[in-house]
Amino acid sequence: MLISVNIQLTQDFRFDIMLIKVNIGEFMNIVHLSDLKKGQRAKVVSLYNDNAELKQRLLDMGIAKGVVIKVKKTAPFGDPVNIELRGYQLCLRKKDLSQIDIEVIE
Amino acid sequence: MKIALVGNQNSGKTTLFNRLTGLNQKVGNWAGVTIEKKSGTLKGSQHEIVDTPGVYSLNAYTLEEQVTHSFIESNECEMIINIVDATSIERGLYLTTQLLEHNKKVVVALNMADIAAKRGTEIDCEKLSNSLGVSVVKISAYKNIGMKELLMAIENAEIRSEQFIDCIREAKDNEEVAVIRYDFIEKIVEESIKVKKTITITEKIDKVILNRWLALPIFAVIMFLVYFLSVGIVGGLTVDLVGGLFESAGAGLSNWLISIGASGWTVSLLVDGILAGVGAVLAFVPQLIILFLLITLLETTGYMSRIAFTFDILFKKLGLSGKSLIPFIIGIGCSVPAIMSTRTIENKDERIRTVVMTPFVPCSAKLPIIALFSGFFFGNNAGLVSASLYFFSIIVIIISALLMKKFVFKNSSGTFISELPDYKMPSFSYVLKEVWDKVFAFIKKAGTIILLSSVVIWFLLSFSIKFEYGVDIQDSMLALIGKGLSWLFYPMLGTFSWEATVSAIQGLVAKEQVVSSMAIIAGLGSDMTEGILGSGVFAFFTSASAYAFMVFNLFSSPCFGAIAAMKKELGSTRKLLLAVTFQTTLALILSYIVYGVGLLIGG
Repeated sequence: MLISVNIQLTQDFRFDIMLIKVNIGEFMNIVHLSDLKKGQRAKVVSLYNDNAELKQRLLDMGIAKGVVIKVKKTAPFGDPVNIELRGYQLCLRKKDLSQIDIEVIE
Repeated sequence: MKIALVGNQNSGKTTLFNRLTGLNQKVGNWAGVTIEKKSGTLKGSQHEIVDTPGVYSLNAYTLEEQVTHSFIESNECEMIINIVDATSIERGLYLTTQLLEHNKKVVVALNMADIAAKRGTEIDCEKLSNSLGVSVVKISAYKNIGMKELLMAIENAEIRSEQFIDCIREAKDNEEVAVIRYDFIEKIVEESIKVKKTITITEKIDKVILNRWLALPIFAVIMFLVYFLSVGIVGGLTVDLVGGLFESAGAGLSNWLISIGASGWTVSLLVDGILAGVGAVLAFVPQLIILFLLITLLETTGYMSRIAFTFDILFKKLGLSGKSLIPFIIGIGCSVPAIMSTRTIENKDERIRTVVMTPFVPCSAKLPIIALFSGFFFGNNAGLVSASLYFFSIIVIIISALLMKKFVFKNSSGTFISELPDYKMPSFSYVLKEVWDKVFAFIKKAGTIILLSSVVIWFLLSFSIKFEYGVDIQDSMLALIGKGLSWLFYPMLGTFSWEATVSAIQGLVAKEQVVSSMAIIAGLGSDMTEGILGSGVFAFFTSASAYAFMVFNLFSSPCFGAIAAMKKELGSTRKLLLAVTFQTTLALILSYIVYGVGLLIGG
């Protein structure tokens, strides 16, 4: 019980540090969802897409600020990418993933 | 009372709809199977259930969303059954939060609850129901579980009165609204659902199917099997068998009619007109059963979504989407449902390009043409030749895609948004029904359009312009029409043949009509003991002109059914005319080239 509480705390602490890093480092430290490797998990910080329709679609599919996304696999020939969020599997092209800012969790 | 059935794509709406109404609608395991709303009566009541296209939200960006949204908004709709996939509740409830704001009675049906339970997901319906303010019922439409409870909930449904999520009103933009909705959902999901992490069978299968090195060979093997079993050797055998039956039936009927003293033209109409025309098409029924069975299996198992995922990177380069491959594969069966299935492609330009190119895939109605010509002219290589036409169509699709990308839609960049559904064992009874429906539609066509056209063709062939019966077919009305247009076909046939010309034009009615028409002309004009192509009128065909003629029929304007589907998807008559002109011009040019090349190699 105690151990699990401990982990919780360190994780939160890590979040704070990362947030500070992103703020200080300005654009240098922003990571895009397309940079995430297979098996990694990340939290969405913001999504920007000049295509309003597409942005709305992504929001509707659950890619909103704060959601945790895991990269499951890439397609056999490298693109699109299969991500897992909110308990389901979604496939998106890397180009669109690159317009989603994230902070890596693990 | 009208009840709307609303839910995400691939959440099982159509299966539930069939359960509730007893109708048989199309079910598939890829997103976007229902493209228009369909309605039926709820079993044992007066209520009308309307099946709507699957949507993820009501923001009315896509065509499907608009259809669903406007129906829910209308006064007609009094109640909503919101179907939510129990294996991905969180995303499904997003739509629920929107539906609850419409001041209509709502019942939430958690579908595939059995699968969720098997995976160790515990769902507390009562808590969920309390948080949402409407009844929540666990069901499995596929296994017919929870239907009684659902019907009870429908009868007792009430409108949720208070404003659903208060702070939405204060949100400053769409993004904030989405975040608020999802935050709310996360909270209630945490309270009422316990998820256990397990490695599903789907993940294990995907390790193989979507493996870097195995994906392509597996796809090739599957497509080869589809070809081999339906179009190739196995299917070919069945056609010979049934074709032989029709031939002896024709001879028997002819003898019998003569023996009872029927007049010459009655025998001719029945044997040379109707039986020859309809029989030439019906011979393909067993082959179609195999073909539709295989395509239905690909659709229901979930493999289609994997193909789209795998090949998207290649299709992107052609200005298409990975999802374009789904209509192309369904198109092997029939262009009409294939063209309708393009709706799931997000980008409009990609969708239009796919619609225009789907008829290039040799559909099952073009099979009779391919089988007839390659069988007669290429003997032992017939299988190879008919296979080559499929590769030909792939090459033509690639080239025309690149042309369109370069000249018609220059600056569009597409997207690919696709779910990866779990693999499902197809339901035996559903697959049988689905195959029967498609085959029956084909038989019905043979009994109606083809029958009628056969009679018309027989009439135009047996009478001269002065309505004299029994003239030489060279002097018939049809010959006159054909002679006027045969110059168009000269460069691919090497001769002026009104017979081949009128037959090819009848491909507009239905592609199988080409063969029917040739059978009638051959039967009336000459001796047919050597088959259609062995008869005098078609003796001019060489292997070069045979191949060219097949190419023309393959790529020219599709049949009226497919043209109607194209018009619907393209949205305007102008675009349709452009598309059909493009297809037919391309077909003419290609067939001229093929004939020329054939002559050069000495065919």
